[in-house]
Amino acid sequence: MVGLSAGEKHFIYGGIAQDLRTDGRQRLHYRPISVEIGVIPQANGSSRVRLGATDVIVSIKAELGRPSSLHPDKGKVAIFIDCSPTAAPMFEGRGGEELSSELSLALQRCLLGGRSGAGAGIDLSSLVIVEGKVCWDLYIDGLVVSSDGNLLDALAAAIKVALCNTGIPKTTVNLGASPNDQPDVDVSDEEFLQFDTSGVPVIVTLTKVGRHYIVDATSEEESQMSSAVSISVNRHGQICGLTKRGGAGLDPSVILDMISVAKHVGEQLMSSLDSEIAAAEASAEDQ
Amino acid sequence: MAAASTAGGSGGGGGGAGGFGAGDMEVEAYRRLFPLPFYERYLQNYVRPDARPLHRARDTSVALGPIASAHGSSSVKIGDTTMLAAVKLEVMTPSAEAPDEGSLAIEFHMPPICSPTVRPGRPADVAPVISKQLSDVITSSGMIDLKELSLISGKAAWTAYLDIYCLNSDGSLFDAALLSAIAAFSHLQIPLVSLNDDGRVIAVSGEQLENNSTIELVNKEKRKLSFQSIPFSLTCVLHNKYILADPTAEEESIMETFITVVLDSMGRLVSFYKPGGSVLVHSSTIKDCISLTKQRMEELQNILEDSTSAMEE
Amino acid sequence: MATNPSTYSPSQSSERKQLQQQRRRLFQETDWTRFDGRGFQQCRPAFLKTGAASAASGSAFAAFGATKVIVSVFGPRESKKAMLYSSTGRLNCNVSYTAFSTSIRGQSSDHKEYSSMLHKALEGAIILETFPKTTVDVFALVVESGGGDLPVIITCASLALADAGIMMYDLVSSVSVSCFGRNIVIDPTSEEEACQDGNLMITCMPARNEVTQVTLTGEWSTAKINEAMELCLDACSKLAEIMRSCLKEAASAPS
Repeated sequence: MVGLSAGEKHFIYGGIAQDLRTDGRQRLHYRPISVEIGVIPQANGSSRVRLGATDVIVSIKAELGRPSSLHPDKGKVAIFIDCSPTAAPMFEGRGGEELSSELSLALQRCLLGGRSGAGAGIDLSSLVIVEGKVCWDLYIDGLVVSSDGNLLDALAAAIKVALCNTGIPKTTVNLGASPNDQPDVDVSDEEFLQFDTSGVPVIVTLTKVGRHYIVDATSEEESQMSSAVSISVNRHGQICGLTKRGGAGLDPSVILDMISVAKHVGEQLMSSLDSEIAAAEASAEDQ
Repeated sequence: MAAASTAGGSGGGGGGAGGFGAGDMEVEAYRRLFPLPFYERYLQNYVRPDARPLHRARDTSVALGPIASAHGSSSVKIGDTTMLAAVKLEVMTPSAEAPDEGSLAIEFHMPPICSPTVRPGRPADVAPVISKQLSDVITSSGMIDLKELSLISGKAAWTAYLDIYCLNSDGSLFDAALLSAIAAFSHLQIPLVSLNDDGRVIAVSGEQLENNSTIELVNKEKRKLSFQSIPFSLTCVLHNKYILADPTAEEESIMETFITVVLDSMGRLVSFYKPGGSVLVHSSTIKDCISLTKQRMEELQNILEDSTSAMEE
Repeated sequence: MATNPSTYSPSQSSERKQLQQQRRRLFQETDWTRFDGRGFQQCRPAFLKTGAASAASGSAFAAFGATKVIVSVFGPRESKKAMLYSSTGRLNCNVSYTAFSTSIRGQSSDHKEYSSMLHKALEGAIILETFPKTTVDVFALVVESGGGDLPVIITCASLALADAGIMMYDLVSSVSVSCFGRNIVIDPTSEEEACQDGNLMITCMPARNEVTQVTLTGEWSTAKINEAMELCLDACSKLAEIMRSCLKEAASAPS
């Protein structure tokens, strides 16, 4: 928890009302974002994203698995987020569990689409090797190293970057003699396929403080929020997920207003992420 | 509730405490502070605070088939104690020792909604005890012939999963649970099944049967269980010379000695349970409890018959 | 418990799968009829009743089609010993399913996700200041699951809170819609939910015109969100009317 004096609270409220926040940003400005890729060599893809003092790492591993009987033509994706005790003292012991599961759930909702698989950010059918028999299981693990607000946006951005960085090994399949046999799969350790990440959305969280809402709130600002709406937007301007936190109710028209703002901010965030990824890839190649 | 009962215990021990302040205290406060003296005043007149005579059970009702998705289900109300029971059948391979028998799996649940004392993550202590008692009584009474659950000897048999949920707990949980179990089994309709090409048992709907007369049914005759004898139970709470049939939760918490008698429909004793308690029992009391159970059994048989005929109408 | 060797349900799984694929194809078309004969914008008939469980401070039972839920409210009562002092009251929510709630018998279990969603949907409506230092427990049991479980749980819980006399700003009602291709279908059943492209659930306090919780999955255009939200809000206010009349009836009935 953030302990703030009455004066500090007043300062935060007043700054937001006048569109000049305590760190000099405007209401709809993100903190500078920094991106690194390939931070975990043994993973298939990984990234580290920093938004101000918020610092998250995401690793992606691909393992061979069996498609579920309900969706034989689709691979599987599992998302787990862990809040490290180093990030905040309240994450110690089992303190971070609730937040961890909440974040995992929100990300799953935004990235994996509806029950039928429509609108999924990750194309699950590209993960199938032999229909009904073999597929890739993607394990997306996120770690919150340091927390200064807006974890969900940072994690979603980190997942997007890590997916760009992910190479899925090429496979050759020897079908067994009978159709009931489990086929042999040879996994190449030299050739990798790039993952199509064009559909992966970003998440924009709008935090309502007083009568206004802001993006990319710091934890000081989050402690003063009445409610927050996280909206995930993809490249085509479609909404892929929406969740709300905080007790206070919102007028329906405010939510619709937030959605249109999030679409606009999401576009900017997406393009700045794209250029950061390109820069990170270039520097990785230089080394 | 726990705090109230200890206060009552010391008050009762004092003897004179029953008279203390009774005149200038509100009835509800007196009931909470000195529950035992409060009850004793009623018992002297052979009546209980809910206006029942000592030996009468609360109003009991049975409804069959509340859960549409189960093969057999029932809901039972004894006073405010409410039980919901459902039977689901699944197919299993019978064990080598008993190749032509099915099996029963009985579980009694007390979800947090049923009582203020049950909290999520901390299951009630009595739930597994009642679970065990129920499966002991149902198996040992021989009510269900496990051979009737067999489909193909040595190959396939039914496992009947009986789940009983206590929706509201107000005393005599075992009696209500047993009654709901019996009602659910009497409502049980075994689905028609046949074998598919892989040797697995599959369900057959009536529609398929009409369209395709070649389907060979495995269990054309065995759609209902025939009961050999049905066990019925009555729990009584004992206090000094008084026997209180079908106690409420309040009565159970104040008077700690209780006896559960289970008789089957032929009048044979199936089970007798007296887990300690401060009252030591004469054999005459036991006889009284058994004859009370016999009376109760006739009531319950009528209620069950009524519920079945109400279902058929 | 007697541990049995593996058992299976005799209803054929491959057949069910075929049926589901068939349905999924059907749902993509613009015009189809729902299996229970409802229109796209027609909710299931709702049955609500308060005071089902006498052991609780307040309780409610809700049946929406095949979905049946019981909610009991306990308290306000003493908070757990380990809890720190709090000048406002606490709300504790738990949702569990019965073993026979779904068509395939499962283990009865707590539903962590729904528990936290229920908490978020209700906390904004309850005036926590009215019971400082104490806790109100809201426990829900899903007796049968027939689709749209969470909205039914939330609606039923708010009714149980009202029955328990817990102070609230307004009743909370909740409705969800499914999206299939271009169609929006209100109050889906579990068969429909299994094939949906997207889902939007809105929880609101109709008299104050405030949304306390909203979740959305799948890919939506803004215009479609507009349409779906309007549909939900309208259904929520109608549902709240039913809840109000249920409470009025309970209050005027001779006890």
